[in-house]
Amino acid sequence: MANIRLELNKVSRRFGGNRAVDQVSFTVTKPELIGMIGPNGAGKTTLTNVMSGMLKPSSGTIYLNEQRIDGKPPYEVTRAGLGRTFQITRALGRMSVMENMLVPGLAHNPRARRSLLEEQAQEILGLLTIQHLAQEFSRALSGGQRKLLELGRLLMLEPRVIILDEPFAGVHPRLQETIYSYIFRVHDEGKAIILISHDMEAVFELSQRLLVLHNGALIADGIPQAVKADPAVIEAYLGEDEED
Amino acid sequence: MMQALWGLERAIDRGIGRRRLGMTLLALVLLFFLWFPNDSSQSNYAKNVFISGFFYAIMASSWALLAGIAGQFSFGHMAFMGIGAYVAGLIARDGIMVAALGIAITPDMISAVGSILIGTIVAGFLGLVIGWLLLRLRAAYLALFTIAFSELFRIVMLTEYDYTGGSNGLSLRPLLEIADVNAARQVEYYLMLGLLIACLLAMYWVANSPVGLFLRAMREDEDAASALGVNVVRYKILVFVFTSMIVGLAGAVFYSDVGSERIIPEQLEVLQMSLIIAYAVIGGMESLIGAAAGAFISRYMLEAMRKVVIDLPFGLSLSDGSQAIVWEPGAWRYALFGLVMVFTLRYMRNGLLFPIITWFSGRDIAMKQTVSIRDDKTKAESTDDG
Repeated sequence: MANIRLELNKVSRRFGGNRAVDQVSFTVTKPELIGMIGPNGAGKTTLTNVMSGMLKPSSGTIYLNEQRIDGKPPYEVTRAGLGRTFQITRALGRMSVMENMLVPGLAHNPRARRSLLEEQAQEILGLLTIQHLAQEFSRALSGGQRKLLELGRLLMLEPRVIILDEPFAGVHPRLQETIYSYIFRVHDEGKAIILISHDMEAVFELSQRLLVLHNGALIADGIPQAVKADPAVIEAYLGEDEED
Repeated sequence: MMQALWGLERAIDRGIGRRRLGMTLLALVLLFFLWFPNDSSQSNYAKNVFISGFFYAIMASSWALLAGIAGQFSFGHMAFMGIGAYVAGLIARDGIMVAALGIAITPDMISAVGSILIGTIVAGFLGLVIGWLLLRLRAAYLALFTIAFSELFRIVMLTEYDYTGGSNGLSLRPLLEIADVNAARQVEYYLMLGLLIACLLAMYWVANSPVGLFLRAMREDEDAASALGVNVVRYKILVFVFTSMIVGLAGAVFYSDVGSERIIPEQLEVLQMSLIIAYAVIGGMESLIGAAAGAFISRYMLEAMRKVVIDLPFGLSLSDGSQAIVWEPGAWRYALFGLVMVFTLRYMRNGLLFPIITWFSGRDIAMKQTVSIRDDKTKAESTDDG
């Protein structure tokens, strides 16, 4: 089992006067399945971008296995062991599915033999049921297939912590099942997963722990049953319903 | 007709195979280029057209690597070529003086090859500086920045008359000193052909290595590539340095009295850069060999169209008694060239030669197979659902 310690200490990110992420602190010390929820504009994606190096935090620190990763460029964060997918899929369109898999494979392991990486990629694509598309340009894939490709690419990086940003959005139910089994399998392999989704049913079904963001701040962190009953969480969601 | 073509395609697939056929044709083209200067009927002018074609093939293919493969749509390519040539020329004429280090190298201490190497290194170093400055710029901003850099360099070369010769240009030290004109032309021809082949091989090596894969990933989506572990900053700078050195070397060699006796600022104008882009686009900007072939064929056609003579058949003659139609299109040949480019961009965005290259590589077979498997699978799934 991989050793995991992800630690966020009072991480904030401001855009002008707007505090998109506000003093968020939490720690992941084991291969947990963690759901991250919050109303629209709560700061989930901004926090993901800060954790993955796409944005620098305005203040606070992030450590992954005692290596400081805040403010580091995304490729260094990735190499440190934190991988992510994107809310809107970012497949490398004019490259084949296999090439999409080889990019992280070779970036993570430059001395590996290409044929071995291709075998590994083919195995992962098989797990995701898209091995038959290996030579297809990724721009020709459906939205759901692209989501699967993004998940596959992550495994080539062998990360310790994975952030999945809206993996079920716009995905056919059949492919959703594949994503479910992917999550279970990756979790069984000893990786921590942070799952961001608006699909509450899926989040509550999958998560062992829930983080709730509201107006950039972490307002709840605990087991799903406890979080569900938390007055601050109810207020945050009911408040949004009233506005709607 | 189509039936016959499909039959031919099947016969090739069953027989020699596309890749082998492609390699054979490539070898024949190479043999033709090796034989060409030995054909006594060819004039030195024709050889010069070929030398110029090889030079522009290097320019277009290296731009294809920079823009088509790595996605860095730069207009500074001609400027880097000019840097290589001007630095080689100035160093060979004036030497180098680095007072801070107490180094003084006089012109007689530097050979033509030495000055070319220094020009190449300086072009690479400035490629590094520009690549670093461009790190945060993308698409139109990158293009505008490189146009500004290119124009800045051209204007400095034009106005610093005392050093650069201004609009009269700068003569570089001749690379070859062969008294016999015909023999000299022959050696210059092989030199430029050899340089083209060496540059293409080096670029192919890069494009087909993991670095090439990372460059293409960067072209598609810099953020996604970075999130996949690609050090975008390193590869962006690397491709600028590498292509700047290639064009710096090509410029320094070409203007060392190999293809032209002097470099002039006019060569650095945006129009000249636009021609390089047009050559690459017509040939296929995502293919090094396509861009090189596009440049060579375009240069040849532009020269061949200076004067078009069509002999009339069956003893026919025009009203003035002449038995041939003579057309000197002048600048109109560039208009026709523009039309070809418009057609390419509208209907064949990967270039006119790209479908041929794809066919010979056999990639379309792999695509057809994967699409057929996909369609079968989709059909099976919809039957299951039903």
